[in-house]
Amino acid sequence: MEKILDKKQIDGWVAALTEHPQGVGRGCNAAEAATTTLWEVHTPALDEGIWTYQPANGTARLDHPNTKQSPKEFAFPQREIFFSFEQIKGEAPRLTQIVPKEQRHAVFGVRPCDGRGVPRMDKVFTDHIEDKYYTSRRKNIAYVGLACNKPPSPNCFCLSVGGSPVSSDGLDVQMTDLGDRYFVKAITETGKAMMAAGGKLFADPSAADQKLLKKTHDDAVAYPQRKINDPDGAPAKLRANFDSPLWQEMAQACIGCGICTFLCPTCHCFDINDEVHNKAPLSGQRVRTWDNCQFPDFTMHSSGHNPREGTGARLRQRVNHKFQYFHENFGMHQCTGCGRCVSECPVGIDIVTVVNKVTEHVG
Amino acid sequence: MSEPQADFEPKIVAFLCKWCSSAGSDLAGVSRIQYPANATPITIPCTGAVSPMYILSAFNKGADGVLVSGCHIGDCHYIEGNYLARRKMHLTMELLKFIGLEPNRFRMSWVSAAEGAKFAQVVTEFVDDVRKLGPQDKLRKVVSQ
Amino acid sequence: MINIQDIRDTARDMLAKGEARMVIGYRRGTRGMLAEPAFITDPAQADDLVWDPTCFNNLSLYLVHDKKFLAHMRENPKGPVAVVAKGCDARSIVVLLQEHYFKREDVYILGVSCEGAGVVDERKLAPLLNGERPSAAAFDGDDFVFTTAAGEKRLAAREVMADRCLECRAPYPKEHNLVFGEDKTGRQLEAPFAALERFEAQDAGQRWDAWSQHFDRCMRCFACRSVCPMCYCDECVVDSITFPVTAGTTAEEKATRIKWIERSATRSENITYLMTRAMHLAGRCTDCGECERACPVNVPIRMLNNKMEREAREKFGFEPGASIGGPSLVATFLDSDPGQFIR
Repeated sequence: MEKILDKKQIDGWVAALTEHPQGVGRGCNAAEAATTTLWEVHTPALDEGIWTYQPANGTARLDHPNTKQSPKEFAFPQREIFFSFEQIKGEAPRLTQIVPKEQRHAVFGVRPCDGRGVPRMDKVFTDHIEDKYYTSRRKNIAYVGLACNKPPSPNCFCLSVGGSPVSSDGLDVQMTDLGDRYFVKAITETGKAMMAAGGKLFADPSAADQKLLKKTHDDAVAYPQRKINDPDGAPAKLRANFDSPLWQEMAQACIGCGICTFLCPTCHCFDINDEVHNKAPLSGQRVRTWDNCQFPDFTMHSSGHNPREGTGARLRQRVNHKFQYFHENFGMHQCTGCGRCVSECPVGIDIVTVVNKVTEHVG
Repeated sequence: MSEPQADFEPKIVAFLCKWCSSAGSDLAGVSRIQYPANATPITIPCTGAVSPMYILSAFNKGADGVLVSGCHIGDCHYIEGNYLARRKMHLTMELLKFIGLEPNRFRMSWVSAAEGAKFAQVVTEFVDDVRKLGPQDKLRKVVSQ
Repeated sequence: MINIQDIRDTARDMLAKGEARMVIGYRRGTRGMLAEPAFITDPAQADDLVWDPTCFNNLSLYLVHDKKFLAHMRENPKGPVAVVAKGCDARSIVVLLQEHYFKREDVYILGVSCEGAGVVDERKLAPLLNGERPSAAAFDGDDFVFTTAAGEKRLAAREVMADRCLECRAPYPKEHNLVFGEDKTGRQLEAPFAALERFEAQDAGQRWDAWSQHFDRCMRCFACRSVCPMCYCDECVVDSITFPVTAGTTAEEKATRIKWIERSATRSENITYLMTRAMHLAGRCTDCGECERACPVNVPIRMLNNKMEREAREKFGFEPGASIGGPSLVATFLDSDPGQFIR
């Protein structure tokens, strides 16, 4: 389904999604749709100088470069409560599973790199073992993408990792900014239903619109980006350079913070802790939180031994996971080229440079 | 700030120095002086040993008010512990006020082992002040579900 | 005006003569105009060194890294590490020396004066460049000059300088082995603590409204802690390694263990973390402002440290990083310390 949406009509579409009497979502038939709640719409908004996803409140604002944090938090929140527990002395422990609320979320303004992060996260949380907490959120989320007419960050490199500024991978709807209007394309059935909810707000595209879309997309792809020189050769070369002294050299400035992984659209490592609230009777919650391979204690054993002792070993883990291990497991690079880790690193560690250096290293 | 509630009984965590204020509270007890039972005493070796972390943690774990009490200046069993505490607690109080916590939720007092009546008075006044403020929900950990 | 070639020549000489085993400075990074830390051991690489308005990093952090690394490797190599240090960075080194973290002879301070300027604040710069992405930045008198694809852009340094530099009282490394640039201590670009005072003019309710949102945004990436040379504790209260949980740890033991701060990045835990950090930096923070710059979600962390710094200065007459032999803030006291708040 391909349509044109006048920019002035975007509020109308948001309203239709939040107020449509028969919302339709992934895995939700018409009967269910009539009884389930409507879409909660999220849009990028500028808050304290940073772009974050915020509740839409009637409008979607799509003039952002890219959000500071990726939209991974919708399906994989930084904090997820698994269950609560209580133990009264002499009795069996009581566990209450806490299931994510059934609420559908439409996330607007998702850039193509972040869209491509979605199938990668799906792989991690559904391959062999299904993570119910992830999938129960995921099935209720629709990603409404916005193609990049030009790279939103000076450190974009999506073209180097098999992506594109006009990729629709992982999205339900793809929007392209054509000046005073959007070219809106449904990618999935959910996307079609969402567009159908907008009804007459959408117009059919003219031949001129199609032509302009093609030109916009062609220009976007032609726009210069940063470049990983040999992405296809990377897995083998990273494997060969596992013990290279280059790693410690390149990671010497690393301070071991969590910026790169917390902002990354595909980093998914987590930690699980019991948060105890009461000692008598013993009660609390088991909670999953994001973790980060760059923290020195990530691989710390209780003996005090740390198999990834230095920053070099930790940088290697992050880069190899993106460009070697994930590729070996799933046949694709995990990195989607959003450039967040490059732009936000306080000490200039640059994954593009790192991969290029290692792949060009003959050791 | 929460609305004051008629049936609200504030939870006070009181860090009392072993040598003076803790003994002062004992004296208040054996002298049968009446004072509110809202304060949970935690005996510490010296006010100088009170880390600001203890205070933050008490608020985090649900205290409505935190009291730190020790020997009068010049009377410290460890000579200078309370001088150091005076500095640290001043900084802690300023930081708490800075982010917008009500200043009356944190209090420090000097109560000697002979001042049972003063201990009762300090606790009574503090409980009254905190009661007026209502429950402390700014720094408290929220337990969902 | 500093001639970068002087710093390069010095670094090259020191390495060639074995007077330093490493020079820590700044070099051009691979992402746009930003400089990055450089660790130079080969005299031939001394020409990589740069000095420009993007030399943000407080490199004294890497003296701490180096010390920890050597302790871990049980190595004790000869010779000092030479480090390029701005006024604030040199004060950090003084605090580390005060705390006996390393010895004075272990470090060779290549002081650089910020003279009439300081470092650029990217958040202030971005809106002034009309979407242009600068590839280089340079000092030029009272101006910064940015190289963009559209040509050179000259901006008054004051307009795009970081707040911490505008408010800086001593942009000159008093403690040094060698110093580059003129001493312009006392230059007044903006009143000290100006940003803090603007914020403090609000009432308690407004302050809480602002801070509660800041605390909510924090995602506990710990960049503020990691980038800080003063956050060198081997065990930090927020880390799970402080109390490792093994297969043999019973539920009872877990429950009775002191867990100061949960891993969850929720408001209450973030408050406890950030406030504890501010307390621990009282009298030690030299206002390099790296915590605030590194923060990806714009939490004004520096303001908490500033608050402590000003209290210490006004109430206790304390200046952090003033002299190596000087006392520490919370391990000393004066009879005149304020006590009116005590009942």
